[in-house]
Amino acid sequence: MTRTTLWLIALFALIAAACVAFGAYFSYVTLLNAHRAAIEARFGITAERLAGTAERASSLGIALPAQATLADLLRREAEIEAAIASIDVVDERGVVLFSSRPERVGAADPKVRNAVSRRITNDLGVAIGRVELRYDPATLAVGSAALADDLSVIAVPTLAVACLATILVGLLLAMSLRRSALRAAEPSSWPPAARAAFEAVSQVHARTAADGAVTLKPELRP
Amino acid sequence: MIGFRAGISIAIAAVLCVALAVVGWGARSAAERTIVPEILAKAESVGRSAASLVEVAYGAGIPLDRMVGVPAYFADLRAANREFALIRMTAPDGREIARSGPAAGMAAAPVVHVAAASRSGVPIADIAVTVDPSVISEEVGGVLIDVAFIGVVSLLIALELVALVIGTSGIAALSALEDRLRALAKGRLALHEGGAETRARELVAPIDRQMSDLAARHAAARAAAARAGDAEALAQLDQVSRRTGLGAVTTPECQAAVAVRPALFLFMLAEELTRPFLPRFAQGLAAGDGAIGPDMAASLPIVAFMAVVALCQIPFAALSERMGRRPGFLIGALLAACGYALSASTGDYTLFLAARVATAVGYALVFVSAQGHVVDYSAGSARTTALAVFVRAIMVASLCGPPIGGVIADRLGPQAAFFLAAGLAIVALGVAALTLPAARHAVKGAGLSWRDLKDAARAPRLMALLVGCAFPAKLLLAALCFLLVPLQLQALGYSSAAIGRFQMIYPILMVVLVPVFAAMADRMAARAGFVVLGGLVAGAGALALPLFPGVLVIALALVLLGIGQSMSIASQSALVADSASATGGRSAGVLGLFRLVERSGNAAGPAAAGALLASIGFASAGAALGAVVVAGAALYALAGRGALRPGAAASASASEGGAL
Repeated sequence: MTRTTLWLIALFALIAAACVAFGAYFSYVTLLNAHRAAIEARFGITAERLAGTAERASSLGIALPAQATLADLLRREAEIEAAIASIDVVDERGVVLFSSRPERVGAADPKVRNAVSRRITNDLGVAIGRVELRYDPATLAVGSAALADDLSVIAVPTLAVACLATILVGLLLAMSLRRSALRAAEPSSWPPAARAAFEAVSQVHARTAADGAVTLKPELRP
Repeated sequence: MIGFRAGISIAIAAVLCVALAVVGWGARSAAERTIVPEILAKAESVGRSAASLVEVAYGAGIPLDRMVGVPAYFADLRAANREFALIRMTAPDGREIARSGPAAGMAAAPVVHVAAASRSGVPIADIAVTVDPSVISEEVGGVLIDVAFIGVVSLLIALELVALVIGTSGIAALSALEDRLRALAKGRLALHEGGAETRARELVAPIDRQMSDLAARHAAARAAAARAGDAEALAQLDQVSRRTGLGAVTTPECQAAVAVRPALFLFMLAEELTRPFLPRFAQGLAAGDGAIGPDMAASLPIVAFMAVVALCQIPFAALSERMGRRPGFLIGALLAACGYALSASTGDYTLFLAARVATAVGYALVFVSAQGHVVDYSAGSARTTALAVFVRAIMVASLCGPPIGGVIADRLGPQAAFFLAAGLAIVALGVAALTLPAARHAVKGAGLSWRDLKDAARAPRLMALLVGCAFPAKLLLAALCFLLVPLQLQALGYSSAAIGRFQMIYPILMVVLVPVFAAMADRMAARAGFVVLGGLVAGAGALALPLFPGVLVIALALVLLGIGQSMSIASQSALVADSASATGGRSAGVLGLFRLVERSGNAAGPAAAGALLASIGFASAGAALGAVVVAGAALYALAGRGALRPGAAASASASEGGAL
């Protein structure tokens, strides 16, 4: 019985610890997503503005490949923000037309994770290209490391305390259960409702045993 | 008396609430340290960009106070970025050149200054971007709400795991001891069967000895009174025996019916993981196939899944009865696990569809086997309780699955989430193998036939209820929650994790409100009224979608769907149970027909939504389906005028267990 109880307490402590760890990890992922969204919103403004410039030129009749001034604009915008790795304008087939890094012109645009993209459309709403802004993964990594540090400082001790608290409560409950079980072996220490029932039974037995045919032992001690 | 098992469950819940609150507090600090600087960096980025434009204009020979369109440009920036309360440009002498936004109330707000300089480095202007602190608080608050959702999910999973441990036969010793102590605490002096052979025998035996001695003395006293022909003494002895349970033998509560709960929870969790990302994943697989549009590509796997589940429901009920519930569960879980694994590993849309069909076959087999197990091992009021436990396991899984699946899909990719689903199905299989009792094989399956369903359709008022309310309810639920909302939120730029949290709205409301509305419907004897009102409320939410396009109205539609369906679902089950009772021997047919109609609604919902989405768009598609629900409820109300009798047989509260 003691072994069963201890095994259970250990299991419950493990469950508590696992769930705190689960909550902390998913909180970390949630914060990480929020952090990424904040970073991408910041770079999205630049991409949006560049897409708008290309669209205005397009509406004046300048085809996207002919918008030669975009190259300087892209370079200037990339220089403004150190965290921007590159800004490309790609056509609808994904070929780089202009880039803040001239060596990328003519290459196919590979899909990368740390990038913000905005569509460039013509006056009819048809996509004619995209602005692809790549940002330095270190921007994200710094935030994610800070988040991991902040949360682990809180989560690890919390996990340990939750584990210990569960063990402590489990032991207290187990001891209380054992005490109740030992008390239940003696009618004199039964709970009030059981003692009342026992007394009622004893009284009826005493009445019916007035002729001495039945004796009732043990008597409930007051 | 709170026993060890109940006590430890409460203690774990309390400990986890505190622990998760502490983690939430830590998350708040972390959010403030990382997200707030990013918002300020965004302001700086905007300021630098504006300064760059000013520098270019100045370099082209335009004096600062002759630059045109600057306020309009600032206004555009503020319109696109609500966190920027005020943008100002001032000359080096402090003169304000251009501004957009009110300065009032922004004295303590964070301000980012960026200097514009000429080519020679002489300062020409200062661009100041003031960030609205209330927006920063909102952003952090939004993240914390997400963290709170995660806390709720963690807590629910912990409680399910605790229930899994408590439900195992390994703690029979503890149960035996607690049953005796609980009886004593209630003043019951009955004998208890079982427990003497467990590890608690040294604690149980003295209690049992006391009860046996007392019962023996009582029997002796009764025999003496009977011999003496003392009727009064006999009456007194019998009365005290009835009051205290003396001499009676209590058999331990049979837990076999609810033993399926942990395995079912784990299995259902596997399927629920896929909800937030499945439509987008299917679209991605079909992207290279020009033969199918994106909306249809998203809906087809859901339709195929739901249709197979609907069609397998009736034949599998007989099959699982013949083969045994345990083998049925095990085979179904294995089949589903294979389906998830294939879904994860294939890059072909047709194979993916086949994988979803295999998963659906496994899902249907597990569902009917688990339901059959509960019915086999319970009777009377215990069956209602066991069915309620069965439903709660599914509802908790539908609460926990989408946010977890969304996070996994965002972080590790949808394939990883499918593999996790496969792993969970295998774990469910293992838990079922350990916890479900050995199969009871039926000699001949007494399952339903199509003829039974045809006969059942003649039950009074049943078809009006099924066609008017049950079918449209599931139609709207499957269309909105499983297809339209995920696709629309995806189009609005929400992550799978965020979509998963939106999908929690419906099950949260169901878990909380179904018992409340079921009790109200019983107390007011107005079940038909609750069914109609529930349909109108659920439909109204979807009808509102075109009125105010945006995420708030989507959340409102989900809230109204949850409220409406929690009003109607238990009452609807109770009315079906009434119809079943009224048909006498055809009750199984009525219930089977009810399930078939509901499942058909589940299948038709995504199909209709996919077709409507492609032709009339999200909001109108949602509204059209909402109109079907409202019209169905109105037709049912009209069809039932004068026929709604209060105080019919089944209770909505009792039918809660059959509400799924």
